Amino acid sequence: MSSAEETRFSPNVRMGDSSAAPKFEERAPATPDRTAKAFAELTGLLGNPQRAFPLMRRLVSDGLRVTFESRHLYSYASTKHATAETLNSIMRWLLNAQRTDGGIAAYYSLLTGYSESYPEVTGYIIPTLYDFAYASGNVDYIAAAERATRWLLSLQMPNGAFPGGLHGSEPEASVFNTGQILQGLVRAHIEIKRAEILDAAIAAGDWLSGLQQADGSWSGPGAYQGVAHSYYSMVAWALAELSECTSNHRYALAAEKNMDWALSHFRDDGWIDGINLRGHPNYLHFIAYVLQGVLECGIILRRDDAVEAVAKSAWMLLRKFETNKYLPGAYETDFKSSHRFTCVTGNAQMSCVWLRLYEMTGDLRYLNAALKINEMLKQSIPHSGGKGIVGGVSGSFPAWGSYQPLRYISWGCKFFADALMLEQRLARSFEMSFPRALPCAS
Amino acid sequence: MRIVVLSSSSYSETGCAMAVRMARLGHVPVGALVLSTFDRRTLLRKMGQWGVRGAIRYARTKVNYGNGGGHQRVNNPHLESLLTYKSGVFRNFREVSAFYDFPPAVCANQNDPEAVAQLKKWSPDVLIFTGGNILRKQVLNIPRLGVLNAHLGLLPEVRGMSSVEWSLLNGVPVGVTVHYMDAGIDTGPILLRSEFPEGARCESLADLRNRLIAFGIEKMGEVVVGLDRGTVGPTPQSDLETDRQFFVMHDWLRTKAAEKLANGCVAAVASPRE
Repeated sequence: MSSAEETRFSPNVRMGDSSAAPKFEERAPATPDRTAKAFAELTGLLGNPQRAFPLMRRLVSDGLRVTFESRHLYSYASTKHATAETLNSIMRWLLNAQRTDGGIAAYYSLLTGYSESYPEVTGYIIPTLYDFAYASGNVDYIAAAERATRWLLSLQMPNGAFPGGLHGSEPEASVFNTGQILQGLVRAHIEIKRAEILDAAIAAGDWLSGLQQADGSWSGPGAYQGVAHSYYSMVAWALAELSECTSNHRYALAAEKNMDWALSHFRDDGWIDGINLRGHPNYLHFIAYVLQGVLECGIILRRDDAVEAVAKSAWMLLRKFETNKYLPGAYETDFKSSHRFTCVTGNAQMSCVWLRLYEMTGDLRYLNAALKINEMLKQSIPHSGGKGIVGGVSGSFPAWGSYQPLRYISWGCKFFADALMLEQRLARSFEMSFPRALPCAS
Repeated sequence: MRIVVLSSSSYSETGCAMAVRMARLGHVPVGALVLSTFDRRTLLRKMGQWGVRGAIRYARTKVNYGNGGGHQRVNNPHLESLLTYKSGVFRNFREVSAFYDFPPAVCANQNDPEAVAQLKKWSPDVLIFTGGNILRKQVLNIPRLGVLNAHLGLLPEVRGMSSVEWSLLNGVPVGVTVHYMDAGIDTGPILLRSEFPEGARCESLADLRNRLIAFGIEKMGEVVVGLDRGTVGPTPQSDLETDRQFFVMHDWLRTKAAEKLANGCVAAVASPRE
């Protein structure tokens, strides 16, 4: 990979932080020249000095909050913003982030503005766009999902794979990104029922199945850093969905094989091995990926053992959240952490996991934790500022935390929107069953 | 019995009422260890958790000026019989200890070395916990018999926080469990488990909680008398492997619990055994 590509992706620029956030995992360089990348981002600011004000505003605001109200973000206090209002704001951010080509930008940087379109997140944002369109009755989001689908179809490689990294780079097939895009294609096919979308999804599924190792993992070409990762359970989830949609059991077998491989990395104490990101800490984002992938795959494939394994790990994180009032952004083994920042996206993903576990088990403690974490996350959404800021979900709180510093990220918006829509749906079903579903003596 | 009462504040009605109840049973506490009400750390914590307005409300409640009732008012009406005496109302530990002649001590943290030294000096048979810090081993090991807690929920079903609300939502009868404290959260051996028979009659969550506090103080008295006479003994909790710990309830769920209470949907109390 050329250094020019690294600079263009500028995936892991962090100011004065030695750790890197590998969201653009398929392109993250092994030995990043962080100084050069930081310089590149700063140059972006020099080219657009009008960005200095929102940047300073965010830094000062987070600085004040951390200094004087360090626990405020983590408090249980209700926010002034209703769930529906916040959800609208986040979804508008996503709509604004859609580029003219139909792809959705990876992030809005306080230094450099919007990034290029990012195929991976564009793929898995498609289901969120459809879900919100139906929930809100706003057809603009259906149109946005269709534009995104068309763009993705134009990117598929002859072998069925999709490229990693931001749009505009030299295409290089990526297992993880293909899996995430597959999720979007499956949903688009369900909605639109067009043969070309189904064909593209099947081609992607075939490519993924063909590349799978005998043990169920994906390693070697197409895998980040060439090694297997337990968070590729997200790919298994997409394959399980493809199997449901096509009634082709072959994809379910591939999904189950990977899920079993991922489950073999769950320790008795709930910790998950095999995230395997060399040079990066275990961000909550990736831990939550493993949990989401295995959980959703387990639900589709009706594997109670998978749901139980996820519940164990999710419970460990729930206890930590309830006891410490926040979840650190990254962990060492056994859920130990010395990090003070929080990974906002990872929090939103954990909310999704807890809400789904509540749905599966009926244990209200999961719902309770999700309601609280959503409440806290709502407090971090800007309600004033320019395009790219209002409704944005930042990588970290405070903004200079080591996960995607100084950026509002589209996948953060996706996961938080998913969490809020899940909250709304489950709250409605709770209301409808209340108090009939609850034991009542009278 | 040599009793020491631990309290979260000098102005805690529960703590004061507990001390009075013990004194009236003939077990005048040998001391009371209370957290400093306007401790900087506590106020900062509350301010971070509830915001400035919430912290001011907290401070007002602690000095008993809550709800605009003036200093003669008892916030929990069900403690009125314990907190009133011929010339007025006990407003804080200073007044209770002066009346019953036992020494109060103030600390910033009940686990601090100075607090531990003070507790050791009193050489208690039991500590009665009515609020404060999560107690560490050095405190739990001081009393001859143990540290007593009246948990506002039935153990082992509902451990931890918001136990009244969780009981309502999960269909567990409301009640009180007096137990010895150990290193876990509400996992210590049980001395008395009492279901509260008047749950369905309560008007609100606050009313239910207030009644349960009074009920807990009454039951604590029974346990202390029983321990003194040797008629009450601890039973280890069953099913400790299952994690039954509950955490502070979100406002939305709390509203649902309140609705359930308002509808009279309180889980039935088991019939008393002969």
